Amino acid sequence: MPGNANVLQFKQITKYFPGVKALDNISFRAKAGEVLAFLGENGAGKSTLLKILNGDYRPTGGEYLINGEQRKFRNPKEAIDAGVSVIYQERQVLMNLSVAENIFSGRLPSKMLGFVDKAALYEQTRSIIQEFNLDIDPFALVKDLSIAYQQMVEIMKAYSREQLSIIAFDEPTASLCESEIESLFGIIRKLRDEGKIIIYVTHRMKEIQSIADKVAIFKDGMYVGTVIPGEVSEKEMINMMIGRDLGDIFNELERNEEIGDTVLSVEQLTTDYVKDISFSLRKGEILGFSGLVGAGRTEIVRGLIGADVMKGGQVLLEGRRIRCRSPKEAMEQGIVLVPEDRKTQGILPNLDVGGNISVATLKKYALFGDLVNSEKESEVVEKGIRDFKVKTPSRYKKILELSGGNQQKTIIARWMSTDPAILILDEPTKGIDIGAKAEFYKMICDFAKKGISVILISSELPEIIGLSDRIIVLKSGKIAGEVLREDASEEVLLSLAMLDT
Amino acid sequence: MRELLGNFKIPGDKIVLTLALVLIFVFFSMLNINFISTTNIINILLAASLTGLVAIGMTYLIIGGHIDLSAGAIVAFSGVLAGILSTNFAMPFPLVLVIILLTGAGVGVFNTIMVTKIELNPFIATLVTQSIFRGFAYILNDGRAIPIRDSAFTGFGTTRWWGIPIPVILLVALFIIFGVVLAKTTFGRNVYVVGGNKEAARLAGLNPNRIALKNYVITGVLCALGGVILAARMGSGQPAASMGLEFDAITAVILGGVSFAGGVGSMFGTVLGVLILQSFNTGLIMVNVPTFWQFVARGVLLLLALSFDFIRKKAREKKVLEDSMKKV
Ligand SMILES: Nc1ncnc2c1ncn2[C@@H]1O[C@H](COP(=O)(O)OP(=O)(O)OP(=O)(O)O)[C@@H](O)[C@H]1O
Ligand SMILES: [Mg+2]
Repeated sequence: MPGNANVLQFKQITKYFPGVKALDNISFRAKAGEVLAFLGENGAGKSTLLKILNGDYRPTGGEYLINGEQRKFRNPKEAIDAGVSVIYQERQVLMNLSVAENIFSGRLPSKMLGFVDKAALYEQTRSIIQEFNLDIDPFALVKDLSIAYQQMVEIMKAYSREQLSIIAFDEPTASLCESEIESLFGIIRKLRDEGKIIIYVTHRMKEIQSIADKVAIFKDGMYVGTVIPGEVSEKEMINMMIGRDLGDIFNELERNEEIGDTVLSVEQLTTDYVKDISFSLRKGEILGFSGLVGAGRTEIVRGLIGADVMKGGQVLLEGRRIRCRSPKEAMEQGIVLVPEDRKTQGILPNLDVGGNISVATLKKYALFGDLVNSEKESEVVEKGIRDFKVKTPSRYKKILELSGGNQQKTIIARWMSTDPAILILDEPTKGIDIGAKAEFYKMICDFAKKGISVILISSELPEIIGLSDRIIVLKSGKIAGEVLREDASEEVLLSLAMLDT
Repeated sequence: MRELLGNFKIPGDKIVLTLALVLIFVFFSMLNINFISTTNIINILLAASLTGLVAIGMTYLIIGGHIDLSAGAIVAFSGVLAGILSTNFAMPFPLVLVIILLTGAGVGVFNTIMVTKIELNPFIATLVTQSIFRGFAYILNDGRAIPIRDSAFTGFGTTRWWGIPIPVILLVALFIIFGVVLAKTTFGRNVYVVGGNKEAARLAGLNPNRIALKNYVITGVLCALGGVILAARMGSGQPAASMGLEFDAITAVILGGVSFAGGVGSMFGTVLGVLILQSFNTGLIMVNVPTFWQFVARGVLLLLALSFDFIRKKAREKKVLEDSMKKV
């Protein structure tokens, strides 16, 4: 039976978490040979449904059927054995093992006496990597790969399973660049043509247009309906998913018209990862950093705030020479960075939502030197939750129990509470739904109007073009060009980022 | 409703631990009524004063994602060094105390340097320290115990105020102080933060190495203080004293609900953990359980506590879930 499932049917699936109804009576079908996209706001229940499908969570009520037969996987392993693979939103790779061992974990090819057949392992891994059009050494350690490649390893792992009949991707492209997304789409189309059932969760309309045959829309734990992208406009889909009209997200922004003098100038910044980077930032300006993943955008700002050691060059803040040896010192100068990888750099997994927000400011308003000021803390936390519309039953909920997008909003709330003069956002809208994105863009413009200078790193071209006053394009650790708002277009940015000039 | 649930914090683990403590008392006093005599209870507390001091430091370290295996060796080393300063150099007790506490702080700094500057794993680094300082404890006086004659010194371990030995009063005071610091200061809160995710903490503007330094220094000083108290109680500095003390402290801390993975726990839990462990130990001795079996019993106690914790957690999850299904 595995290998040729034709229909997957959800019947009245309901799931409760403490204090939250994550899924409410969900019923619909997915068919083989089609890519079915899931669309819904943060916390709508998309990931939860997938974790029910692969046996990670037990549904509180309802059932699912594969080819008309009711299945009850007790854990992801059983699901995998039955041909159902779910690639999680949060990476699950084993950092200290090689790419090959990750892909074939649990089913390493073996020789006599159970020794691992290294040659076979290498060959099999190499051929998969080739299918994905990537350049990775099969025996490289996963921890040495970029986040994008780690994500690809995860996808290859699911792809390589022989008995695959249902495969679900939960926001797989959040950290991939254009070319990687293209090779992933190639693979997905191939799987689709082989007659697998494919589920694809994303917040990006562009991806829905290019890969999805049908779109299942969710809202607040409920299933709204399934539509065909060609027949229904983006606007209508967004309307179904958030229950209102968003309008033209970028053109309706109220931008800061009075950009001031230079506040920050960086001269010949050099770290282990970038060399001789110079640029300046003006008061109330939104400066975009564009370029391919790995072009050095993150590395520049890490050097700037002292997260990586600065080996040369200088930084002038309002004409004063400053030197930040740690993110803490940068923060004291009013420069903060919202880091790119939420899981390893943002979240404090053992704390609740409140603790995750207040951590950066606790010291600032401490009483008698070091005593926690709980009143002020509550104020900051509640303001953060309110301002950023974090969907959580209370500030005492563990951050790990929030949906991915709401975790991201929590982290942003943390940084904004420090009242920064210069705000650096590294891929800030990764995993945030469209409604929240629109809110977030408004907020960035409001920051600028208040005189805060913003550096925005983003791989989403419409976002960077729509928001930035000026865009610096990077290529292989160097500045490849600078584009003013009036002149920016996707073509201009891409050609600067990719072409040799 | 959601609001309510979110705020709903079950104090269950502490109640269970308190219950366990009561149970231990009931059980052993049924076997031997002397168990609940004032003398015995004070004995238990006196024994707890050493483990307790170390456990305070261990609570900070483990919550912050570190550990210190050198505690027992530091206690012994401090005791012998204090004896030498007092007896051979005739230093007044307050001076001895200050020097020893500073030495303890120094050991804390040494541990921190190994862990943060040469990035040794805390287990390994403090094992190194353990070996070195146990060695010094023997070397200082050629492997012999050093008697202490200064009555101000010995009095520090044996004098009673309102019938309670000074070490016990000191322990209670320190538990309160360090409990408040852990729960109510930003330093205390940051200990939890770095224990959960060090890199995120660093990017959030904390300095994980500074926090580690403070934790190791706190532990070093408390161990040194423990060494002085032990030497005072015994009237001599013993180089072979308190072997494996760190494991008692770790056991107590884990019993009290601190997670070995870091980031979780409380000082009140540690207080209960220390009391449970110490009264259990004393009880086993009083009802004449053979020494070797005492080890087994202690292991079983820890296992029971941890499994019970697990069962309780599951039950709680289920209950909250059912409640929310009724009302959402
Ligand atoms: N392990 C958990 N414990 C408690 N609540 C949970 C847990 N996992 C998810 N939830 C809650 O269930 C709801 C649905 O979450 P889910 O992760 O499925 O959302 P999502 O649609 O994938 O959102 P996103 O686009 O942000 O990833 C949220 O309100 C979330 O807080
Ligand atoms: Mg999700």
